[in-house]
Amino acid sequence: MKEMKKTALTLNVNRETYDVVSYPNRTLLEVLRDDLHLTGTKEGCGEGVCGSCTVLVNGMPVRSCLTLAVAVQGKEITTIEGLSAGEKLHPVQEAFVNHHAIQCGFCSPGMILTSYALLAENPSPTEKEIRRAISGNVCRCTGYAKIVEAVKSLAEKGR
Amino acid sequence: MPEKALSRHREKQNNNLEEHMRLPPFQYLEPTNAEEALSIISSHKETVKIMAGGTDLVNRMKLRLIEPAFVMNIGKLRNLDGIDIGDTETVIGANTRLREVAGAPLVKKRFRAIAEAAFQVASSAITNMATVGGNILQNTRCLYYDQSGLVLNGLERCHKRGGNVCLAVKGSARCFSVYQGDMAPAFIAFDARCVLEKKGSTRTVSLPELFTGNGAAPLAIGADELLTKIIIPNPEGLYGSAYRKLRLRGSTDYPLASAAAFVSVAKDRKVTLCRLVIGAAGTAPKVIDRASPDADLEVIAQKAYELAEGVDNLLLPGAYRKKMVSVLARRAIKAAMDGIKEGV
Repeated sequence: MKEMKKTALTLNVNRETYDVVSYPNRTLLEVLRDDLHLTGTKEGCGEGVCGSCTVLVNGMPVRSCLTLAVAVQGKEITTIEGLSAGEKLHPVQEAFVNHHAIQCGFCSPGMILTSYALLAENPSPTEKEIRRAISGNVCRCTGYAKIVEAVKSLAEKGR
Repeated sequence: MPEKALSRHREKQNNNLEEHMRLPPFQYLEPTNAEEALSIISSHKETVKIMAGGTDLVNRMKLRLIEPAFVMNIGKLRNLDGIDIGDTETVIGANTRLREVAGAPLVKKRFRAIAEAAFQVASSAITNMATVGGNILQNTRCLYYDQSGLVLNGLERCHKRGGNVCLAVKGSARCFSVYQGDMAPAFIAFDARCVLEKKGSTRTVSLPELFTGNGAAPLAIGADELLTKIIIPNPEGLYGSAYRKLRLRGSTDYPLASAAAFVSVAKDRKVTLCRLVIGAAGTAPKVIDRASPDADLEVIAQKAYELAEGVDNLLLPGAYRKKMVSVLARRAIKAAMDGIKEGV
């Protein structure tokens, strides 16, 4: 094993500052889950394909399994835990609940954050734009129809 | 196997699997400007790997295909990104995110094939991270190579792993791994050049010169060099371009066959140049240049078919991929011709 020094990281997650001492080879996903105990972010494929580890960095969806934690210091990281205001769900989360867009729930954090980022950029996306936006998030339960309906309901509100 | 031994065996296997999802150890370097980056690669050479978006490099490290002593993150170097459309040429910084290239209205209008290639790389969570330079400098891929140690340990050491056999083409003296970058074919269709900088000197090479044609060592860039920008001459007159790609999943996949086309025509609509570049058809992108009047669609598609290497080393059969290269060649040329507009 090559010698590797631990470094002090300062991460801004969900508008809070966290100081972590960690090895540089750890991904953002690992630090979020194992060090900060923010286990809402899920590990699926671990190679950037499934989208279950999606978090927002400066408002844009990225794969936390392919992102080094050390590389996102100084950036604003948003995980699923950062969307709700205490017990009050964010409208995107509410829409997912109301439209039964959640079954097993494993894809939901990534799916919701991706939808949130889409709506922030484009408040009234078309169905095609919604499908394109969530195309990098794999759901094995719903067949996507309910998820698209949930996002569409918000898009219509935005119009 | 007795139950206890079996459970120990399973535990060991699980640990191995767990280990393979993690990154190997390395020292992390983060230069604050390009000069510092050049100085680092000049002193560390082969021991350092350059990371921009990380979408390709991190996966290769997870698979233990590379275990660099140092990883240098250039992703935050702001003077290496951006799109600058000038009077005679357009400069795209190597650090420009693919999403920016795909969405830039002027790139879509003037360099359609380049915007289409960037858009088709993957969904936004990948293209928000991945950069133009990283996509161009992808290593070649092969089903018998891009695997974790769990798979590779059971295989003979191939050319790409420093051995002397090819597992895809039995008895072959060379490596048939496939270059699956999306951006390079589109840039080559526009006759782009790229700037390679190293400490104390800079060279500009045409994009095809970046590729050696040798699958085992496919990129002609020194360990002390940094790709900083891509320069595209602004085409004049009437022209169109397009990029077409075959893949299994629309949201995220390397091309299994691809074609980028650039077509320019005279005022009377006679074709003056038809340049086709095929991708995922060998160890490097391949160019087919045909100036009118013999720029015949079928002739070019046939030539694309002949040039494409159809080897069974990706997810779809080689013979099918070879046929699809010529199908995509036709489609790309047709789309380029349909989209012909006045340039600049």
